[in-house]
Amino acid sequence: MDLYARRRIANGVVMTLSVAATAFGLLWLVLVLWTLLENGVAAITPALFSQMTPPPGSAGGLLNAIFGSVVITLIATLIGTPTGILAGTFLAEYSRGSRFGEVVRFINDILLSAPSIIVGLFVYEVMVVRMGHFSAWAGAVALAIIVVPVVVRTTEDMLNLVPNALREAASALGAPKWKVIVMVSYRAAIQGMVTGVMLAVARIAGETAPLLFTALNNQFWSTDLNAPMANLPVVIFQFAMSPYADWQTLAWGGALLITITVLFLNIGARMLASWSTFKQ
Amino acid sequence: MNPTQAAARVAMPLAPSDPHVTDPEPTPRQKAVIRNVDFFYDNFQALKNISLPLHDKRVTAFIGPSGCGKSTLLRILNRIYQLYPGQRATGEVLVDGENILSPGLDLNLLRARIGMVFQKPTPFPMSIYDNIAFGIRLYERLPHSELDDRVESALRRAALWDEVKDKLRQSGLSLSGGQQQRLCIARAVAVQPEILLLDEPASALDPLSTQRIEELIAELKADYCIAIVTHNMQQAARSSDYTAFMYIGELIEFDETERIFTHPKEKHTEDYITGRFG
Amino acid sequence: MLADITVVERIAERGGRAGAIGDVVFRAVTFLFALLVLLILGGVIVALVEGAVPALRTFGFSFVLTEVWNPVTEKFGALAAIYGTLVTSAIAMLVGIPVAFGVAVFITEICPLWLKRPLATMIELLAAIPSIIYGIWGLFVFAPFVQQYIQPAIIDSLGQIPGFGALFAGPPLGIGVLTAGFILAIMVLPFISSIMRDVFETVPAILKESAYGLGATRSEVVRQIVLPYTRTGVIGGIMLGLGRALGETMAVTFVIGNAHRISASILQPGTTISASLANEFTEAFGDLYRSSLIALGFILFIITFVVLAIAKLMLLRLQKRAGG
Repeated sequence: MDLYARRRIANGVVMTLSVAATAFGLLWLVLVLWTLLENGVAAITPALFSQMTPPPGSAGGLLNAIFGSVVITLIATLIGTPTGILAGTFLAEYSRGSRFGEVVRFINDILLSAPSIIVGLFVYEVMVVRMGHFSAWAGAVALAIIVVPVVVRTTEDMLNLVPNALREAASALGAPKWKVIVMVSYRAAIQGMVTGVMLAVARIAGETAPLLFTALNNQFWSTDLNAPMANLPVVIFQFAMSPYADWQTLAWGGALLITITVLFLNIGARMLASWSTFKQ
Repeated sequence: MNPTQAAARVAMPLAPSDPHVTDPEPTPRQKAVIRNVDFFYDNFQALKNISLPLHDKRVTAFIGPSGCGKSTLLRILNRIYQLYPGQRATGEVLVDGENILSPGLDLNLLRARIGMVFQKPTPFPMSIYDNIAFGIRLYERLPHSELDDRVESALRRAALWDEVKDKLRQSGLSLSGGQQQRLCIARAVAVQPEILLLDEPASALDPLSTQRIEELIAELKADYCIAIVTHNMQQAARSSDYTAFMYIGELIEFDETERIFTHPKEKHTEDYITGRFG
Repeated sequence: MLADITVVERIAERGGRAGAIGDVVFRAVTFLFALLVLLILGGVIVALVEGAVPALRTFGFSFVLTEVWNPVTEKFGALAAIYGTLVTSAIAMLVGIPVAFGVAVFITEICPLWLKRPLATMIELLAAIPSIIYGIWGLFVFAPFVQQYIQPAIIDSLGQIPGFGALFAGPPLGIGVLTAGFILAIMVLPFISSIMRDVFETVPAILKESAYGLGATRSEVVRQIVLPYTRTGVIGGIMLGLGRALGETMAVTFVIGNAHRISASILQPGTTISASLANEFTEAFGDLYRSSLIALGFILFIITFVVLAIAKLMLLRLQKRAGG
């Protein structure tokens, strides 16, 4: 076989394998989503949203878990977002080339990819042990620690995209630096920053490991932030690993709820990002 | 006189913008004096021993080939270079007798007195109204009606009022390039500065918008000391009263515009003006 | 100059001093929060060390080399967990890297323009799905499937090879190290793929065009131009993916079988550090038990920290080269 024919075959092989790889990847996405829908839809009933998690062998719902997840996620976002924005602002606006800035950026990226169960362990040692009990607060703090690096990253990236000419124009009018940042830079970067927050929320909405040793779980309805609080991921963990069919169905239902929320947030964030670039 | 100018006359009786009216200040006063100024980007010296005056109610143009330092010099006048570490200036710049290069000076206050318009239009991501009001709100607490008046008069001065008066709440980014630049000019004059610095204000615009900007400058010079950097010699010859020709960081010649363009003293100036280089 | 009060007077009343104070305060506040990021990491290290010290002091360095994990006799060793973590991650890399590479090549070189964005988004959605979803999918759908079809096939084919076959010995249980590794591969591949894609796109178009202009085939351009140019970034992306795989908890916990032992066969159950923590921590009794678990967490932290630091440094180097 001559050289050229061999090269063409090699090319064909590589290209075919690429297509196959992509199909392979998509296949799993479809499979997972399909079985999720198949098994989860059965659990989507009004009861899911109106009744509490039941003891094994009885019917019930996920109301306390849904409520707990919403509350914990909300508090985590409220704690983590301003922290992340302010730290990201420092990196973008005040630390040009400084050693300190480089170190913070490096550490932030490590935290970004750190195993979330380690974060849970940390908050356990620092809050649960000190307080003497599990609590929703501890769960929220653990999730906040996961939110912060994401928001720092997107805030810094978005602020770096704001053209310097805009900052100079505001300074040239006599605005002090903090007003330039708050009234001009933030406004210019707002869409990107909101996208970053949405992606961070999508990330923590499904996190289980950090909640395992912090918020724990609660069989009953509770609004006490100082006590263990029910939440979807840990409930799914507990119910799915159990041998009870009712519990397993509820686990699938919870999984479907989380997935829908996460996908909505992700797709919404992407649409927001592309809408803003289109507008300008 | 067009309707805009007539309206401006009514709104601000102190503005003698009609070129046919006798100039109330026939002997121009020196508003600012640049004395022995050097400028450094880290270790690179970009300006060498620049000395020249800026006259009040007159336009001073800075011309020269790329890299000669004309924009750098302009940016010293409102110390905007100070935003970047590693850039520094030595020497004196006296504005009404006060040296604005002195280290203790409050830069924000300085920049409220000396306005700047940049090469590319830079509207803030807010409504047209808020763009103009931004600078005013920094330093004055005005009742709503007074703020409205100030915004309107600034937009009239920039010959933009008629085009935007019905859409003040729309984003500044929704305007065309020429309109955006006039918006930036309106924004700069809204804070009632004493000196206006224009860094190639029309270079990013089409010829029609350029013409309108030049007309604007002719009107504005009745109230401000204007310094304009331009790479367009014809523009300098048309619009300015004084011209400074710079080359690789040095001031080669400074004189009344008419004299520079007809009988330049330096051979270098003559070569540049006649197009032998640059 | 002006008819009414001069601007300078108005300014002195308001703007000047307030602006200066505002600047100092704002800068200090943003600095403090940036410092907080450092403190969080510092806090994590301190808390882990503090919690792990009792176990490390009791067992010493042999903690890392002992397989035994017996809460009743209070003899703990990390070897099984470390082994499981490394093996599942290795399987994830072995399967995930080629697939991620294929996807990246497809999207950057072969895919028609209109398909690029939607396809890239779909692959990224794979990464967005929370790991617990993969966990229960793995437990209820994938593991039974593997048990019924895949594992018997492997045992009958690869398992029969003398010597090498020991890797695939044992009854088909569905759950086990191989299953967990495979699910990890699916989770990690979109992550690696999108980094590869970003890195491939930094190759200047003229470089590729000169190769095509000489008559090179697409696969040759990819193998001989794109890959060498982006080598550092690709390795950095792979290591980031590895860091992810090492720390992944929920997907693995459901299907690994939670057996603190090392088997030669990857068809057998095992455990990983994060799975052990997830399964045992809340029920751990006794200080030594809990301390051993925290020691496991500490070891995981060190491993992932090193991997992530190397990845970050490699990606930084590529950024500098690309003119960042």
